[in-house]
Amino acid sequence: VVEGLALLDLGVSPYSGAIFHETPLIIYLFHFLIEYAELVFMITDVLTAVALYLAIQDFNRVVFKKQKLLIELDKYAPDVAELIQTPMEMHYIPLKVALFYLLNPYTVMSCVAKSTCAINNSVIAFFVLATIKGSAFLSAVFLALATYQSLYPLTLFAPALLYLLQRQFIPIKLKSKSFWLYTMQYASLYLCSLVVIICLSFFLLNSWDFIPSVYGFILSVPDLTPNIGLFWYFFAEMFEHFSLFFVCVFQINVFFYTIPLAIKLKEHPVFFMFVQIAIISIFKSYPTVGDIALYMAFLPVWSHLYRFLRNIFILSCVLIFCSFLFPVLWHLWIYAGSANSNFYYAITLTFNIGQILLISDYFYAFLRREYYLTHGLHLTRQDGTEAMLVLK
Amino acid sequence: FQDQAEQFFRSGHTNNWAVLVCTSRFWFNYRHVANTLSVYRSVKRLGIPDSHIVLMLADDMACNPRNPKPATVFSHKNMELNVYGDDVEVDYRSYEVTVENFLRVLTGRIPPSTPRSKRLLSDDRSNILIYMTGHGGNGFLKFQDSEEITNVELADAFEQMWQKRRYNELLFIIDTCQGASMYERFYSPNIMALASSQVGEDSLSHQPDLGIGVHLMDRYTFYVLEFLEEIHPASQTNMNDLFQVCPKSLCVSTPGHRTDLFQRDPQNVLITDFFGSVRKVEITTETVSLDRDLAGFEREFPEDELATEPLKYAEQLPVAQIIHQKPKQKDWHPPGGFILGLWALIIMVFFKTYGIKHMKHVF
Repeated sequence: VVEGLALLDLGVSPYSGAIFHETPLIIYLFHFLIEYAELVFMITDVLTAVALYLAIQDFNRVVFKKQKLLIELDKYAPDVAELIQTPMEMHYIPLKVALFYLLNPYTVMSCVAKSTCAINNSVIAFFVLATIKGSAFLSAVFLALATYQSLYPLTLFAPALLYLLQRQFIPIKLKSKSFWLYTMQYASLYLCSLVVIICLSFFLLNSWDFIPSVYGFILSVPDLTPNIGLFWYFFAEMFEHFSLFFVCVFQINVFFYTIPLAIKLKEHPVFFMFVQIAIISIFKSYPTVGDIALYMAFLPVWSHLYRFLRNIFILSCVLIFCSFLFPVLWHLWIYAGSANSNFYYAITLTFNIGQILLISDYFYAFLRREYYLTHGLHLTRQDGTEAMLVLK
Repeated sequence: FQDQAEQFFRSGHTNNWAVLVCTSRFWFNYRHVANTLSVYRSVKRLGIPDSHIVLMLADDMACNPRNPKPATVFSHKNMELNVYGDDVEVDYRSYEVTVENFLRVLTGRIPPSTPRSKRLLSDDRSNILIYMTGHGGNGFLKFQDSEEITNVELADAFEQMWQKRRYNELLFIIDTCQGASMYERFYSPNIMALASSQVGEDSLSHQPDLGIGVHLMDRYTFYVLEFLEEIHPASQTNMNDLFQVCPKSLCVSTPGHRTDLFQRDPQNVLITDFFGSVRKVEITTETVSLDRDLAGFEREFPEDELATEPLKYAEQLPVAQIIHQKPKQKDWHPPGGFILGLWALIIMVFFKTYGIKHMKHVF
């Protein structure tokens, strides 16, 4: 950002160098605030935490209402009393969420590093808040802002839509007219605000070259500086001939999980949102630890799934060890010269595998709990022996 | 009196230096060491002392385990002439012969710990002979089998020498393949260059000695050595004769030379101006008194050359100005239309979400 502003002061487009890949609104924001940059990032982190707090508070109310409705409708099996969430245990969850975000070492690291990921996180947090509060307009605006910042929150359109439909009590059937009407409304709100924001940023610099610099950069991954993601190593060793193909494969991998998850999790859009945020932060082309901090902040919301999580000890050990090994192997590779990129890549792989297993563990636990809620805790097969639930 | 003194300085130089470099190692490059040592021998015989010669040999042939006649380096077959005697002083030996050291010797940028024998302590009245031999190509000369010096680097080094007034005139002789490419890039004045072959030609070796098993000399230097053996400190042979040495019939390659940067006519340049250290000594029987005339030679400095005020070191940089500088004004400002549009949008979103009733609180 400093480079971009310096280039602007010299009268050159900030996108002409290969370093600046932020959107013009960031230029506008930091034009006035660059001297107080630390303060800006601290305030954004606090704003994110506050937004998450309010969002989860509201979400808890929604969960209770839904639970009450389902109990009255007798949808739950008789022996699942211990699985039902009570206000007592859920009272401190919003506070835990806010604290999880603020005290997470990843958040602290990205704040100290003054990474613009904090701004991305804040926009996504406000989007979550707006969605859970039910305001379609605001949610569309924030989603447009988030997509404008980095391309991937586009996939959060689906969970937001599902949640808003649920809130309006519109059933999600493909033939239903009201479903399509609402979807069109929301989609048009989102697209219009996105177009407005992009046109507005055109007027900042009177040129369109922010589009290849920001979005072309995210999609075509030209810069292969090592980070905690998976893209750099693959593309560093790949032949040029195949790089287009593999870029497409990798990018599709991010967007691919939306539809199947939407089909499976259409009753639980907020969990879907959590899983989608996690998938974005694992598979995006330039992940940072700030993205990880955002989805980890949501984990206390599903702390009631603890008894169904199968690998949580190993996963947390893997994640903690890998976080400590990252700087060690980086030092060995770059400064001491006694390791090579394979070491660092192995740690990236392990870390991402840990994250993926974490998400899939939570996914499994969530679905298992839902199954138990409707079918009872003691599952029996048709012949009466005890059954085990597996995720296929 | 002045005319008498001027006669001393006809050639312009008062001292002679020689930098003789052999750049190849390994036993089969025996001939390069023999080349350099034969030029060393001639130069020493004609009067340049060891203190004014910088001899760089990249490998030790005399004490090489493969030398059947240890402590000798022969330049003629049948071991007629041993150019490695008791009084050979090698200044840069073996791995010390690198491009960096060579350039440091030429330009004088030597660490303070270097001994005098390894320095080229020339001044602006020195004539320097630089002889290089080894393996080369179009525009480069290979040092030690691991690095190269290019003709551009060499030309720049000579320019540095000229600007530092480290030579009066320079004679550059090179005996490598495609040697003429090495002097193509010179641009400093007072340099004369000779090469053993043109670009695209190889310099060939002269004769092998079956007893030692390697070629003993290169052709060009062999014939130059034979030519130099005829020269004695008082001879008046000039450079044009040196240019005729080794015609194509004898050398197979075409020797080349370059005199366009040289100010004097090669006809007037004596061989001993470069290869020997000939002192101009005139014996006179009358005494010359210097006291009275000296007073007339003192000149005053013109007034305007003296500084009016002594400049203090601390005042050269406006430090106080620099450290108390305000952050510079930013030149770029977002266009007004953008700011207006952005804030209008934000306000619209705010009111759409929270209703128009807040308007009266804002305004």
